[in-house]
Amino acid sequence: MKGAGFKIDELESDLIKIKGLEVTVGKFYEEWEEVMGPTPMPSVTDLRGWDFTLLNRYKPMYAPFCDLCCLCTYGKCDLSGGKKGACGIDIGAQQGRIVLLACCIGAAAHGGHARHMVDHLIKKYGADTPIDMGKNVEVEAPLIRLIAGIKPKRLGDLLEPLEYAEKELMHSLSATHTGQEGYYTDFESKALHVSMVDQLLMEIADVAQISALGFSKGDPDSPLVDIGFGSIDTKKPIILCIGHNVVPGAAVIDYLQDHDMYDDVEVAGICCTAHDLTRYDKGAKIVGPLSKQLKFVRTGIADVIIVDEQCVRTDILSEARKNDTAVIATNDKICLGLPDRTEDSPEDVIDDLVKGAPGALILDAEKVGEVAVRIAIKLSGKRKRRALDVVKEAKKCTQCGLCVRECHNNLDIPKGMEKAAKGDLSLLSEIYALCMGCGRCENVCSKEIPIVSLLGEAAKERIRKERYKVRSGRGPIQDTEIRSVGSPIVMGEIPGVVAFVGCPNYPSSSKELVEMAEIFLQRRYIVTASGCAAMDLAMYKDEEGKTLYEKYPGNFDAGCLSNVGSCVSNAHIAGAAIKIASIFAHRNLRGNYEEIADYILNRVGAVGVAWGAMSQKAASIATGFNRLGIPVIIGPRGAKYRRTYLGRADKSEDWMVYNARDGSRTQVSPSPGYLLYVAESKEEAIVSIAKNCIRPNDTTKGRQIKLAHYIDLHKRYFGAVPEDLAIYIRTEADIPITLKAEIMDILKAKKWKPKTIPDPTLLERLCRKKGDRA
Amino acid sequence: MEIPVEIGVVYEGERIRKGEMHVELGGPKVKAKGELVRARKMDEIKDGKIEVKGPDLSEMEEGSRHSFGIFVEVAGKQVEEDLEAVIERRIHDYCNYVEGFMHLNQRYDIWCRLSKKSYGKGFNTLRYLGDALITLFKAELPIIEKIQVTFITDEKRVEDFVRNARKIYEARDARARALSEEDVKEFYGCVLCQSFAPTHVCVITPDRISLCGSINWFDGRAAARVDPKGPNFAIPKGELIDETNGEYSGVNEVVRERSLGENERFYLHSMFSSPHTSCGCFESIAFYIPEVAGIGIVHRDYSGDTVMGVPFSTLATQTGGGKQIEGFLGMAIEYMRSPKFLQADGGWNRIVWLPKSVKERVKDAVPGELYDKIATEDDATDIVALKEFLREKGHPVVERWVEAPPEAIEAPELEVMPAGAAGGIKIILKNAKIHAEKVIIKRVK
Repeated sequence: MKGAGFKIDELESDLIKIKGLEVTVGKFYEEWEEVMGPTPMPSVTDLRGWDFTLLNRYKPMYAPFCDLCCLCTYGKCDLSGGKKGACGIDIGAQQGRIVLLACCIGAAAHGGHARHMVDHLIKKYGADTPIDMGKNVEVEAPLIRLIAGIKPKRLGDLLEPLEYAEKELMHSLSATHTGQEGYYTDFESKALHVSMVDQLLMEIADVAQISALGFSKGDPDSPLVDIGFGSIDTKKPIILCIGHNVVPGAAVIDYLQDHDMYDDVEVAGICCTAHDLTRYDKGAKIVGPLSKQLKFVRTGIADVIIVDEQCVRTDILSEARKNDTAVIATNDKICLGLPDRTEDSPEDVIDDLVKGAPGALILDAEKVGEVAVRIAIKLSGKRKRRALDVVKEAKKCTQCGLCVRECHNNLDIPKGMEKAAKGDLSLLSEIYALCMGCGRCENVCSKEIPIVSLLGEAAKERIRKERYKVRSGRGPIQDTEIRSVGSPIVMGEIPGVVAFVGCPNYPSSSKELVEMAEIFLQRRYIVTASGCAAMDLAMYKDEEGKTLYEKYPGNFDAGCLSNVGSCVSNAHIAGAAIKIASIFAHRNLRGNYEEIADYILNRVGAVGVAWGAMSQKAASIATGFNRLGIPVIIGPRGAKYRRTYLGRADKSEDWMVYNARDGSRTQVSPSPGYLLYVAESKEEAIVSIAKNCIRPNDTTKGRQIKLAHYIDLHKRYFGAVPEDLAIYIRTEADIPITLKAEIMDILKAKKWKPKTIPDPTLLERLCRKKGDRA
Repeated sequence: MEIPVEIGVVYEGERIRKGEMHVELGGPKVKAKGELVRARKMDEIKDGKIEVKGPDLSEMEEGSRHSFGIFVEVAGKQVEEDLEAVIERRIHDYCNYVEGFMHLNQRYDIWCRLSKKSYGKGFNTLRYLGDALITLFKAELPIIEKIQVTFITDEKRVEDFVRNARKIYEARDARARALSEEDVKEFYGCVLCQSFAPTHVCVITPDRISLCGSINWFDGRAAARVDPKGPNFAIPKGELIDETNGEYSGVNEVVRERSLGENERFYLHSMFSSPHTSCGCFESIAFYIPEVAGIGIVHRDYSGDTVMGVPFSTLATQTGGGKQIEGFLGMAIEYMRSPKFLQADGGWNRIVWLPKSVKERVKDAVPGELYDKIATEDDATDIVALKEFLREKGHPVVERWVEAPPEAIEAPELEVMPAGAAGGIKIILKNAKIHAEKVIIKRVK
């Protein structure tokens, strides 16, 4: 709550005589029963000890993408072969520095989003608008409680953690300046710090929009909504929103509803804005993830494109021009060189756009709502859509092969062109389905063939059938759901939690993601998803015509698939892990980051999978999960982040923990075996997910089921019992009963001995000596 | 014999739909079906023997349905009649571990299917299933020294088998209901939840099932026998210190040891003074309502507000985490059926509110005259309405009100400033600037 004050010039009574008294109060706090932990609003160095504990076990491994530094005018400095730069930096520190920079950029993107969102919602609905995450969500903002040490009740309460986060971001970013931090682990510690702040920022943004915009408050049965090109009704005027900030898109829906026109205009989205539009109103449609952006814009179906922030193609204006689609920029992050028309009358703006002005910058959501709708109606059906003769274009191809060399996924475009030139479009249509839509092939084409457009034209039939169902983002996980899964997790019936998150920069078809998710759904893991990954999981149907979301319930439970929502909703996945600590062990969350992260690392068998991680936001999201003790697997493209956190299973000293019961030191199974890991294939990722759900505290029943899946998947994909099986077996009771005879033979050959199962912690201060009363 | 399909825990969640099924055994469309485990003397059975009475899988038509009985007989020095039910429940798990074999429900209600795929791989006799069951039972329960399995598919013989089995289920249930803390020497402890809540210990007696509702005294006994060093272990009950509260010296000793000194005594049947701790996965919460001197109960699946004006999730934050919290108790729904259910606090006579769905579920356990006197969400959603309801219905707690009138919340003491009384002080402030960096507003209790 904000401060207050009063002045008394003169007052005299029997008791008191006052002259010129001024009383001011900085801040009011409502007392909260929970004791404040050691690190409320931690500074850059407050959790450095925890970071070093993690980094000591999970050592950063760098794969320099570039061994030069060209950030200052001394450079370029060659840092290869042990050489130092002009400022003295070595290659290790430089890699850490670039990682920190990426995490700062990611956190800043969520932070800018959160700041816009909170300021806008406070202005529109008032600072006293209550924070409401729904009936069964008592722990409304686990990250804010954990990191900032406050319990937000009103929108206005979000300002304080927001200011804190902005300060930390500034300090972290400043460390990347020339002549500041000089050691790689300290760069990493700062990357972990700013990525933790990133999680806080994501939660602030989503808590604000859930509370004020009436999004689903943790409803497992949130509606199934339409996704895919084919679900867009092309007979209606179409408004396409691209980006992450739902405010202008929501204003479009408001305008349509206020004017009773919602049935006459299609509102569709690409990327996270699309998720959030359906959370705002289930009638909105999702075109698809980021990978569909260029493809869809090229179709010219949209009459108006509204861009807000993040992951918007920076050439959106020129791309839209190709089909005379109007562009409205709505956010200070993306102005695209357009004239600021915020203060102009809607009529003038509409007039100019209809006459052919390429676009307008309008920094007022309500005005965007009105202008977008009215232009869409005027432009609909009147724009020129350039016809494309695929065969004629394909005949231009000289088979030079430059496009394949430029393509991430080595798609055989020349072969497709060769066939198309003869009238067979089938291969181009197949390539369309695998294409991630970056458009770099066109840049290098010596004949300037509009390859992406050609793919779309060739795949027309396929596109029409792209019509699926995705469960609209549900927001938080209910406390009661956490409680319900507690017993089966303890009893060994649920082997783990797998979260599919991030961007669509996949190594091959997005179908791989669906296959991975379904394997774990069938095996009754808890599967959860967010962002573009949550969309791609919807974009395949089984033989009965059903998508994963139609086949599996939306609960946070065994064999269920929950979509939490957009990028910022990732906070709820972290939140669910934090709530396990709060609900099962009554661990205090308030300002108690280190203890909770230690709890999660040692006890909560959760793994994140960012199979197509692309952006700096994905880097900070993954690193934020890492500081909280949750391992993340990234797809092959993720190697370009140039840093992984890998453990060494062969070094027993790295896997020592304290047994909190008596303070003794015990060696535990090396799991999670890493915090950040690049898997080269789907098969490798699947086996690794199963293995890294193992945690030192597993009950024997839990370990049995986890090992059963690990062994089974390893046999299935690699044809043999895993070599390292013995290190995961602590007592005979850990052995899956159906494999007992086989495994006992292996153990005998390895001279295996039973180990104790500790109450594991990496923090000596958490040890309780026997009989030592608190 | 080499089983032609895989056996593994990973097949547990497998469902076999109609189109994929080769045959159906038992299920809603056949009358006679059931499964039974009996404890035998060592010389009464032949280890490893598998019999099929009636047509075997290879003699069944594709898509057909059949009566089905599974009869497992076990023997061993530590195998006793009391463990039959526990062993019997494993049949379900083990059948499901077989690739392409589905088993649903238990006792006289079983429903199994074999997939076309597994049949195609050569799974053409129930002997394979018998072999899998025998291997799995022996691997997981080494107390079983001898085991034989009989499958019955002949309708007439299944009918006879089920008729006999029903008598045994009834006798078993009667014994379980009659068994009480006085009849046994040992209780069982469970520390499975310590992997998440390190100071919580569950004490399981014939009158008190685990908080999660998953482990009763018989389960605890079986698990403790199989693996005495495992998470379920015997607690010698020791001396009865306090009958009403349910305090035993043996329990206190174990609680002290296993909670790492965090807790020293447990009352097994009271939510006051030294209540049992709660983990995180309890099925329901009993909460004291001081305004009416009664106890309310809410279960996890009830999403509305309780009569306290808050939902389960809010009350749950007060309960649990291996700490003793007076007035809040996590418990299994089944505990409401215990004859010792919160006996020290008045038992059912003290229960004033619970959600309709639970009330319906435990109807058989609620004393008849009390049933209509206990409010649900239909009768009261706040304390005022609850008080009115209880008074009107003449609930037994109303008598307590006469003894001690239920004062809701005592008025907070107010500090009164001396106002200009003689001999007081006078404060003079001139050009003072007072800045408080923070003002903390405390709620006065």
